[in-house]
Amino acid sequence: MLVYLGRRILSVIPVIFGVTLITFILFNLVGGDPVYQRLGKHGSEAEIVILRHEMGLDLPLLQQYVFYLKQCMTFDFGRSWATQQKITTMIGDGIGASLSLAIPAFSITIILSILISILIAFFRNTPFDRMLQVLCLAGISISSLVYVIAGQYFFGYKWGVFPISGYDPSWSGRWEYLYLPIVIWLLVSIGNEVLLYRTAILDEVYQDYVRTARAKGLSEKVVLLKHVLKNSMIPIITAVIIEIPFLFTGALILEAFYGIPGLGGMVVQGISNSDFPVVKAMTYISAVLYVAFNLITDICYAVVDPRIKLE
Amino acid sequence: MSTIRILVVISLIISSFVLGSCSKKEESQFENYVHEPLKSSIKGMDPVISSDLYSGIVMGQIYSTLLQYNYLQRPIIVEPLDADGMPQISKDQKTYTFKIKKGLMFHDSPVFKATSGKGREVTAEDYIYSWKRLADPSAHSDGFWVFEGKVKGFKEWRDEAVKLGKANYSQAVPGLTAVDQHTLKIELEKPYPQLLFVLTMIPAAVLPHEAIEFHGPEFQNNPVGSGPYKFHSWVRNSTIVLDRNPNYMNEVYPSKGEPSDSANGNLADAGKKLPLNEGVVFTETVEDQPRFLNFRKGVFDWVEIPKDNFDSAVKNDELASDMVQQGVRLTKYVDPDVTFDSFNMDDPIVGGAKGKFLRQAISLTVDPAELIKKFYNDRAVPAHGPIPPSISGYDPDLKNPYKGPRLEKAKELLKKAGYPGGQGLPELKYETYQGSTARQIVEYLQQRASLIGVKIKINANTWPEFLQKQKQRKAQMFGMAWSADYPDAENFLQLFYGPNGSPGPNNSNYNNPEFNKLYEQASVMPDNAARNVIYRKMVALVVEDTPWIFDTHRKSYVLQNGWFHNHKRNLMNLNYIKYYRVDKEAKAQLKKKL
Repeated sequence: MLVYLGRRILSVIPVIFGVTLITFILFNLVGGDPVYQRLGKHGSEAEIVILRHEMGLDLPLLQQYVFYLKQCMTFDFGRSWATQQKITTMIGDGIGASLSLAIPAFSITIILSILISILIAFFRNTPFDRMLQVLCLAGISISSLVYVIAGQYFFGYKWGVFPISGYDPSWSGRWEYLYLPIVIWLLVSIGNEVLLYRTAILDEVYQDYVRTARAKGLSEKVVLLKHVLKNSMIPIITAVIIEIPFLFTGALILEAFYGIPGLGGMVVQGISNSDFPVVKAMTYISAVLYVAFNLITDICYAVVDPRIKLE
Repeated sequence: MSTIRILVVISLIISSFVLGSCSKKEESQFENYVHEPLKSSIKGMDPVISSDLYSGIVMGQIYSTLLQYNYLQRPIIVEPLDADGMPQISKDQKTYTFKIKKGLMFHDSPVFKATSGKGREVTAEDYIYSWKRLADPSAHSDGFWVFEGKVKGFKEWRDEAVKLGKANYSQAVPGLTAVDQHTLKIELEKPYPQLLFVLTMIPAAVLPHEAIEFHGPEFQNNPVGSGPYKFHSWVRNSTIVLDRNPNYMNEVYPSKGEPSDSANGNLADAGKKLPLNEGVVFTETVEDQPRFLNFRKGVFDWVEIPKDNFDSAVKNDELASDMVQQGVRLTKYVDPDVTFDSFNMDDPIVGGAKGKFLRQAISLTVDPAELIKKFYNDRAVPAHGPIPPSISGYDPDLKNPYKGPRLEKAKELLKKAGYPGGQGLPELKYETYQGSTARQIVEYLQQRASLIGVKIKINANTWPEFLQKQKQRKAQMFGMAWSADYPDAENFLQLFYGPNGSPGPNNSNYNNPEFNKLYEQASVMPDNAARNVIYRKMVALVVEDTPWIFDTHRKSYVLQNGWFHNHKRNLMNLNYIKYYRVDKEAKAQLKKKL
């Protein structure tokens, strides 16, 4: 196990290195010159030269890249070019709001999806199964923006069930503003998740060991919940854990419409402002999280399925 | 069985956690504050580095300046704020002497260690220090343009700082002198009649050196000024709260305005001490729908009507009847801006004298009435030149002969340009940024130009790419808007002054020696009839040469809830919150109707 972990961690280094290199090249090729943006409408030639020097953009590209790598090693990404704010502070301020929305919404979605999928598997090939499938497909087919806009209009404005938008950073005050976006998240995601988990569960239902279990006289409930569910967990775990890194980068549309000061808006603003310090910080952190959760997925396989050995 | 049990227990825990932790929010402690939405997130609150409009609006309440715009009078006039009267101006118009009010205090703050946190008096030296920061290269300022090349020796002071890699604040700027604690003398390289306007702007605000020394770069998150409001809190990308400054100077609500101000109640508070409210809560609300719905629910006191909500709020240019019944009021303003399509005058096809007929022909294809109806909900007036109404130097009688739609004339000019029916003319490239409305407007121009045989290809760019193409003179055509920095036509005409070419603000790179000469002549003249004559000649030149297709001057339709008073828009005046009044009793009554 330890040898496996060591080998995986070593194999991650070139991946991360590649991500930094691609980010750096892409930014310098297509990012636009941030100096013009920073100086606004009155920037003169002399000021452009001064600012380019202050931002380190007059250094050779190799030197700029080495500086970027140093920042990655220390997780100190300096200050935003667009706002002059400290990036670690910006991330620190945004991550709490992003996770306050994402963790409950994601957890509830996963749990409800698994429960519904088991229910569907229990009633497989019945009108109930077909009705739920149609509902899920219909749910997926509608643009997420429709849920966001209609949810805000009806629940927030027309019926006044929830606040229209806003955020209170206090621990107890924030939930009032998060209910509605959590519900919208659930509505947007659940159809897709249910169909995916249903397939994973039904793949197991027709296996030989399930037939054996039934032949032993076990009830359908026991067969589904004890045997089928455990074995269908591998694709479910894969799908769930791979989604976790994206929770840290924020839910852009929900955050923008519901006024949640998370990381989604920060990432988009960083890209549209050619704010390379913000872009590189978020890209690097996302890449590290992604490979870390990939590793966790592999470990989880071994935990749920004793046939899998980490070697 | 254990798996399902675990799942149920987890879901119950999460549900009870979320539900249990939510309690009915206590009545807001900010009920008596002004509640205002911001269309964009602010960058910070340091006057030196946060030049965007929305950061400026927040800073306009925290900091104070020597001068300000009169809130009600039109045409817009400048009046003293921190200054004790208007300045003495020397005969050669090159020396301005300001007296600063005595007893004007900075906000109480822990940065004032010598006075145990009590704010100290603002002095002339504070102004000099604050303006030196604009020129300090390590401050990354984007506001030095207000003084660059204008104040004697200031450019040299900055050049020295750049050379040494560090600004020397103890070294004097020859043109800035603190004659005594309350007297500030500004000496100019040449007459600069716009100085009075730029001294109302946020980059020219005064701030205490103790705050910069105490907070360092974090000053932008911990502002200390001398304005009508003190910083309370900022939740990044969410809300900024400012509290009334109890030690604010003895400033009162103006007692003179336009005739319409009496009729609409804007003079009801004449003579009352400012600010008229307890504070302000700014909410950064980027999306249009939540901003508008929150206004309709009474969360925000006022809002500009977003494009997509216009039809529900305004019928036949009047406020919808349901809103009238709820006490909502509608006010309309023509903003001091111009939207335009620019040609790159350096371009071998559309630029220079050779491209003149082609530019005029394309301009003649545009139907301003259709453009305004389709893309602005009729909230704009056609622009015949660069200077908007409400700006000194605007000519209401100007009629641009290249204003469309006149397709036959356009075809004739295209033939004169050497491209009959568009033959032989390569496809033109129009750069725009990735916004849906911006793109739709360009598609409209593309469709109109095709009627005379001119083909235009549209390139959508990110904002930085879009700016880069303009600044590096690589955009053949592009669309932009310019909003006034100050109420003087010079601010618009400088956009055609040859030496201001890219990367300066003249991104069309128009360079007409006759225009340049007139600009240099007018730029040192005070606002008078003789200067207006020169301005008109300059406008006539750019209208004839058509480096821009002049599109519109936009209008703002502002909705105010019935409990909210004294709103009067002036996009150049950012310290306006102090004039607002919220009627608590009316708010309690009217909110029930919403």
